[in-house]
Order: sequence, then structure tokens, then C-alpha cells
Amino acid sequence: MAISKAERLMNLALCLLGTRRPLSKRELRGSIEAYLEAGSDDSFNRMFERDKDDLRELGLVIETVENLDGEVGYLARRDSNRLPPVTLDAEEAAALGLAAKVWQQARLAGAASGALQKLRAAGLPEDVDPYGAHGALEPHIPVHEAAFEPLMLACRDRRPVAFEYRKATAARPELRQVEPWALECWRGHWYLAGWDRERGAERVFRLSRITGKVRNRPGKFTAAVPDVVTVRETVASWAGETADRSALIRLRAGAGYPLRAKAVSVRELGDGWEELEIPYGHGLDAWLVEFGPDVVVLEPAELRADVVDRLRAVAKG
Amino acid sequence: MAANAIDQTRRMLSLVTYLRERPGARVADVARAFGITEDELISDLDVLPLCGTSFRGGDLLDIDTDGERIWWRNPGALAAEAAAPLRIAADEATALLVAARAVSTLPGLRESDRQALLRATAKLETAAGEAAGASSRLSVTFESEGGVFADVDRAISERRRLWIRYYSPARDELSEREIDPIRLVSVGHTYVEAWCRRSEARRTFRLDRVAEIRILDEPSAPPEVELRDLSEGLVQPAAEDPEVVVEVGPGGRWVAEYYPHDSADELPDGGLRITLRTPDPASLRRLALRLGRDGRIVSPQDLADSAQRAARAALAAYDELVAGPAGTPAPAGGRVGAPYGNADGPAEAPVGGPVDRQEQAL
Repeated sequence: MAISKAERLMNLALCLLGTRRPLSKRELRGSIEAYLEAGSDDSFNRMFERDKDDLRELGLVIETVENLDGEVGYLARRDSNRLPPVTLDAEEAAALGLAAKVWQQARLAGAASGALQKLRAAGLPEDVDPYGAHGALEPHIPVHEAAFEPLMLACRDRRPVAFEYRKATAARPELRQVEPWALECWRGHWYLAGWDRERGAERVFRLSRITGKVRNRPGKFTAAVPDVVTVRETVASWAGETADRSALIRLRAGAGYPLRAKAVSVRELGDGWEELEIPYGHGLDAWLVEFGPDVVVLEPAELRADVVDRLRAVAKG
Repeated sequence: MAANAIDQTRRMLSLVTYLRERPGARVADVARAFGITEDELISDLDVLPLCGTSFRGGDLLDIDTDGERIWWRNPGALAAEAAAPLRIAADEATALLVAARAVSTLPGLRESDRQALLRATAKLETAAGEAAGASSRLSVTFESEGGVFADVDRAISERRRLWIRYYSPARDELSEREIDPIRLVSVGHTYVEAWCRRSEARRTFRLDRVAEIRILDEPSAPPEVELRDLSEGLVQPAAEDPEVVVEVGPGGRWVAEYYPHDSADELPDGGLRITLRTPDPASLRRLALRLGRDGRIVSPQDLADSAQRAARAALAAYDELVAGPAGTPAPAGGRVGAPYGNADGPAEAPVGGPVDRQEQAL
């Protein structure tokens, strides 16, 4: 039976953690059964390189040391691999227990439980989660976009990427060359902020509009990464949340609660109508049209023309 | 599965540390502490005896279980230092810190819980050291109505019924109902899942659509219901729901991003033909109106007709306004038929796309 990868990784980790002197590849190959069975030198070398990468991925600091004879050896030093002392009380432990369940994405869910298990091994209290008892609060971070994981890694490692991106109103996707800075999830959707190389400017991309694969590009970032990347402000302004003007509308009594909730002022007009002053930001025209005959735009003329125009398109059928 | 092998290795390394200090630990307790099933733990315990610092010597880990307790018969096989707790990796720090920060900013969260989260986050940042750095490259915001959240949370912990006035976008109306809250779920927005006493059914309410809320004196008594897995989305249309077909141009492609659908086929002009299901097709009249010239309802016909009638009625009001009594502001300029003024926005904007319309069925 083939030896499982987890068994092989575990043996490599224990060998590297258990040694006080660097172990050569030869010694490791002689100590770990899976490597003995690896066959050719080539396939052993490939396997060994991948395994080291995987162990580094889960946090192991593996040093490469050359001895006097020029032979390369490996070890995982205890002082660089040990968790510093951390003492968490039962409430803090419960809080982290809740946080560890939030990710829906396989890689990060695995990483979050892994972190909690490490803390558990270090003596994290095992008291009952105050919410867990009745499960009354369940935050979930949804990740449905295939582009998420490669972009997360590219942001982490500061690697340039390229992907096909279809703008909201474009029929065809277009290739974009991006230095990815940060990912942000707002209202359940993921956005990427980064430097668009061809446009020579900062851009925000919505992950659901990335089509096809995210490919890594060689080389380093060419633009400076800002200290603070604000994705949400940009997206909020697209969503019409940053209004700089106001509009005057007539609203049928009883209708349009969300408009009323946003209104700056409401005035009774009689005859079952009210007059509202509401913030006027991007996209307000499309929203007002949803209310059909229950809304009449009074001012400004520009908004009114946009709404009438949209209504005409629907009225034509 | 490579990812599983990594997760399993990570877990087994922590298990080694954990078990070394707890001879005779119970399988059930260890599984709970590690957040895994007993079967997963047993499969780890099958691998551990094959691991050690060298397979040739007698120094494989002699870890054994009778299914109830776990014994490690040669803890000396691993030097104490080699079994010390391991430092937190960058991805681990990111996963836990980003989640903890997101939850701690949930409006309405109990203050004691928020403080515990903030303290834990600070300690974790210190313990993770440099590995914590990359966590600033991911962030998540949960939206919630703080006051409503706090009332629902209190009602759940005190097991009391709630009275709410709730806005339904599908009907554009407010309705009053009494609900027995079950849990709060945050997925972008925050929702309360509850037993609705008016419809005698389980319902999900988005907190920012709760116009008014009161905690009642009556006890909450939701029937025992199996909790759904909400990770795939709150709206899961049923197969028997009527079908609606919408054709959109390039400017209406956002519909496929916001509405769960059965299919979205490319059209030659860069648009899409989208087939979706909803228990209440009339609720999509809003969508038909919003789409304007960016799309139209193909079927059912009544839905297309009702949107058309609504648009005509709305236009009639503007005609009246022009001819209306003195004192009514007349439309200045009358840019009728002009291209959309502000509808274009930045290049990557969800132009005209509502930020959230997917819960139309609720």
C-alpha cells in the first residue's frame, strides 16, 4: 500500500524537529520509509522539495545549512519553531473558538482550525463556547469565487498576477495585469484592490467578474504599496452610498419604507401622498424606478429625466 | 487531497504535543478539543504509530487506543523540545485574526464578547509575531443593525418572543409579526432565523429590514427544527417554484451575480439569457422596472405585462405634473431621451446593479 502523504510529511517534520544537527538529504532519505520507496533520485528530489514547501506552509521554519564538506543539511530549530508563551482565559478562548468557525473557504477554514489546535496543544482552556451551547450566533464568511485563493496567496506573497476581467457593462473580458494589494469582503462579495499596470493607476475589481484562471507573473511589484488600502469606500460609492446631493420626490403613503428610512425630511401632501427629500447618489435613478407609480421625481431635472427615460424603455415593452 | 494531508499533518503535530501531557486522554474529549470527529481522530491515531524520528530504530511513536482512551507508551521517543507547541503560521494567523476582527466589529455584539475578542486578537498578534503581518491584506465587514441585533440576541438568551415590523421588498410593504428567534446568522448582512408565528413556518429576516422591534413577555417556543446549512446561501429556490426567464444586455449582466439562477446562457450581443425560479414571480416586477432598456422579462407574460403597466402608470404621473396646477415644479430642461446622466460610474462599478437584491424571496 502506498504510504500516505500525511504520514510522509509527519515523519519529515518529526525528523527535522527532533534533530540538533542539520540532516543531509541522504540521511533523511535513509530514515523515512516513503523516501526509500520513492524510486529514482529525481522523483525523490521532487517529492522532498514539495514536502519542504508544504511544511513551511503550515508554519515550520526549516533552515538550510551547509557543512564544512559543502554538504547541505536541514533542520527545524526549536527556538524558531516554538510558540511563544500565550495565556488566554476561558472567554478569550471561546471568542477564538467562534472565530475559527467563520471561514467557509477550505484553505482558510483548515488554517483557522490549525491555529486553534496549536493553541489547544499549548494549553488553551477548553471551556464551553458561550454561543456554542445554543449556536445562537453564526457569522460566515462566504467565498464562492474561484479567484479568491490564488489572489489571497498573491496578496500574501506580493506577486503580480494577470487575469481576464469582464467589466460590469462589457460584453467581453479583457486581460488585466495587476499588482494585488488587498482583498476585502463587503456585503458578502469579494473585491480586490491593486495596481493596474497598464492603466498605471489603482483599481478595484470584483472577484465574481474575473473569468478564467488567475496566473502568476514573474518579477516584483513596481508600484509602492500604500499603507492603507480602502476598498470599501470605493465600492460604497459605486453602490450610491456616498451621496453628495439630495433629491425631492413624491411618495405614495405606505409605500417605499426604505426611501422613508433614508429621508432627510418628510412632508405630508394630502391625497395619500408625501414629499421626501432623500440623498442622491450613484444609482438612485434605477432604484426609484423599482417603485413604479408609487414614486414621482420632482427634482433635480437630471434625475427626473433619467427616471422617465428608464420608465419609457419598460413601457415600450 | 493535498490540502487534507497538510491539515492532517498540522493536526497530528499538535496532537503529539497535546497527548504527551495527557496520558490516558479520552477519545471524546480530545476530538472535542481539536474540533474534529472521533473518526477523524482515530484515523490520525492510525497514522501516528507509523511516525517517528527514524523508522529503522525502535523510536516510532507507540501511540495506541482502545477506542475510548489514548495511551502513549514511549513518550521518550520524542524529545520534549521536539514536542513543544509550534508557532502559528502566516495563513493560520490570517485566518483566525481576520475572522476575529470581522466578528468584533459586528454592530450589536455583546460588549463582553467584543472585549474578549479584542483581547484574544491582541494576544494572538503578539504570539504570531511576524506571521500576523499578512493578515492586514484581507478584511471582512459584516453589516448589521446594532440595536436590532442586540434585542434579538437578548431575546434568544432570555428565550423570549419578539414582535417586529418587517419590510418586504417583494411587496414593498411593512407587516407586523411575532417571531420566536432561533439564531443570528451573518453572511455579509446579518439575519435572524426564526419561527414565524403568523405563517407557522421557519423564516429568515434581514436585520436592516426590521423597521421596529419589541421584546415580548411571552416565552419563545420555536418547535424543534433541524438547522439548515446556510453556507450555500439563504435563498434556495425549490424545484417546484415557477420559472422566470430574463434576457439582459451587457448592462444587465449583474442580474446573474445577484440572483441565484438555474442557467445563464451567453447571447450574441454580450448579454445573457437567465432562467431562475422564485415562489412568487410577481416579486420580480421590481427587477423588470429596474432593468429598463438593459433587459426584459421573456416569461411569464403576466409579469412582463404588469411591469409595462406599472411603467405606463408612472409615466402618466409625470404628464400630469407637466400640465399640473400652478405651484408644482415643472420639469426643467426636459432632457427626455437623453443618455443616462450619472449611470456610468467608474470602470469596474456594478453599474445600476443593486448591492443586494438576492433575498427577494424573503
